[in-house]
Amino acid sequence: MGGLAEPFEFEFFVRGMVAATLVGVLCAAVGTYVVLRSLAYIGHGLAHSIFGGAVVSFVSGISFYIGATIWGVFTVLLVNAAARRRQIGGDAAIGIITTCAFALGVALISRHGRFTQDFDAALFGQILGITSGDLAVIAGVLVFSAAAIFAFWKQLLFTTFDSEVATTYGVPVPWVEALFSLVLAATVIASLQVLGATLIAAALVIPPVTARLLTDSFTRMFALAALLGGASGLVGVYVSWFVDVSSGATVVLLQGALFVVALAWAIARSRWPGTGDGERLSAIESAALD
Amino acid sequence: MVEVPPSAPDHRPPPADPTGEPLVELRGLTAGYERSAILRDVDFTVRRGEFAGVVGPSGSGKTTLLRAIAGQTRHFAGTVASNPRPGESALRLGYVPQVEAINWNFPLTVGQAVLLGRWREMGWRPWPRRRDRELLRNILERLGIAHLENRQIRALSGGQQQRTFLARALIGDPDLLLLDEPTSGVDIKTRHEIMHLLGELNRAGTTILMTTHDLNAVATHLPRLVCVGEGAIVADGVPEDVLTPEVLRRTYGADMLVLRRGDAIYVVEHLDEAMAAADEEAAAAAASGG
Repeated sequence: MGGLAEPFEFEFFVRGMVAATLVGVLCAAVGTYVVLRSLAYIGHGLAHSIFGGAVVSFVSGISFYIGATIWGVFTVLLVNAAARRRQIGGDAAIGIITTCAFALGVALISRHGRFTQDFDAALFGQILGITSGDLAVIAGVLVFSAAAIFAFWKQLLFTTFDSEVATTYGVPVPWVEALFSLVLAATVIASLQVLGATLIAAALVIPPVTARLLTDSFTRMFALAALLGGASGLVGVYVSWFVDVSSGATVVLLQGALFVVALAWAIARSRWPGTGDGERLSAIESAALD
Repeated sequence: MVEVPPSAPDHRPPPADPTGEPLVELRGLTAGYERSAILRDVDFTVRRGEFAGVVGPSGSGKTTLLRAIAGQTRHFAGTVASNPRPGESALRLGYVPQVEAINWNFPLTVGQAVLLGRWREMGWRPWPRRRDRELLRNILERLGIAHLENRQIRALSGGQQQRTFLARALIGDPDLLLLDEPTSGVDIKTRHEIMHLLGELNRAGTTILMTTHDLNAVATHLPRLVCVGEGAIVADGVPEDVLTPEVLRRTYGADMLVLRRGDAIYVVEHLDEAMAAADEEAAAAAASGG
């Protein structure tokens, strides 16, 4: 057997494809909130910071997942605390804390040169090296995140839209934000092996932004982002087999291509007379209701 | 003798019931943000059924007064006591922020935005039940925006945007409606419509506290007016008693003229302004009447 079905003969490839699909859905769904809160930079920062955590846990001989989780949650809490100081601001707080955490990882690696190989995966991802254990962690994080988002859908949406006003309406905003930080940290950790620290930010940001160009409804944006994320994970890994390019990079390039198509469509649509956003939305809504 | 043009028709609601039970009581409250106090030693009571306006220059503490009641400020001294309905631990607040504070690009439809105000009653499901949909329909019809339910919030006029966020506040059946500058940035006709709507809501039993910059078109028509200057309450009472040159000097730190004709009061810095204000009122009356 060969041709188009050839890659499916290899178990590691199927595992990698399933992992990339799940990570695509996970990153895009969580990324919807990240994008709407203008926190795109934290995904990037957190991934780099957790890379530092991965090195520290390796050096101290503890499990990557335990070490990275503690490190990730600690980083998010530190960023939140620093961002609350008005003289610093969120973006600068992320810049300082996450790059220092990353630098710590790099420093430890340069001190112990023999580790370098092991951290290629954490930096650039290694989809085809995914083990059953990694897959179980990804599936677990996906179930946990889906449950958290489902159970706190309204609170998350209100907090994302306007956290100050949400407080006056009785939403426990600090708890909702802490829960979201946990979901985000878990998402980044689970995705590290698949996409690597350098590409996670793209998977968090590109599908939601693409979906935003195509709809004005939050619910549809969320669903569309998850669909685009999952589909590009699946198709990206499959295509990477034939073009012989890094799987993580192929997934992200595919997402980038979809973004360009959506952007071109949005621009073209805004130039057609009589298809402004309001009319377009009403048209879509009435079509959906009919 | 200064000649003042005839006044606009009176939309003012009946005078506040001074015997209504206290809903919120601030006693010796010093409150603000982080380390700086904005309000200093404030004593203030809102009674059930009242319709009160807060005026004062920018930075005087108008919004902070609203936020202190909403529990969004840091309290340095004093107390905020509220009188929730039996069986509830806190007052139900309907907060309508300034339009400038809202993220209009957020992918939210009118229906989705309004249902946020009912997040607590909607139970654990992310989607609204039949009862929630009925309430949504009723509230949108009451405010005349039922046809806009599926429109994205950016694709609305100024008046429709105010109505949307008023609907979000009302759908939670609030004890107290807090509105921050509900008439800023809207045209004269819309301003009249909003004030008329608020008057109707108040007559139907809703307690309202709002801030406003507009002394002539809004503040003078309210049953109770609170002047805030440099974080302190300078005067509190019916507009006829409160709007005096002395109070206005202490509130705004500038000399102002107060012109009266019958029930109408005009506050101006120069006489030309009196004519302009009266013209504007007459135009608004014509617009809302015709």
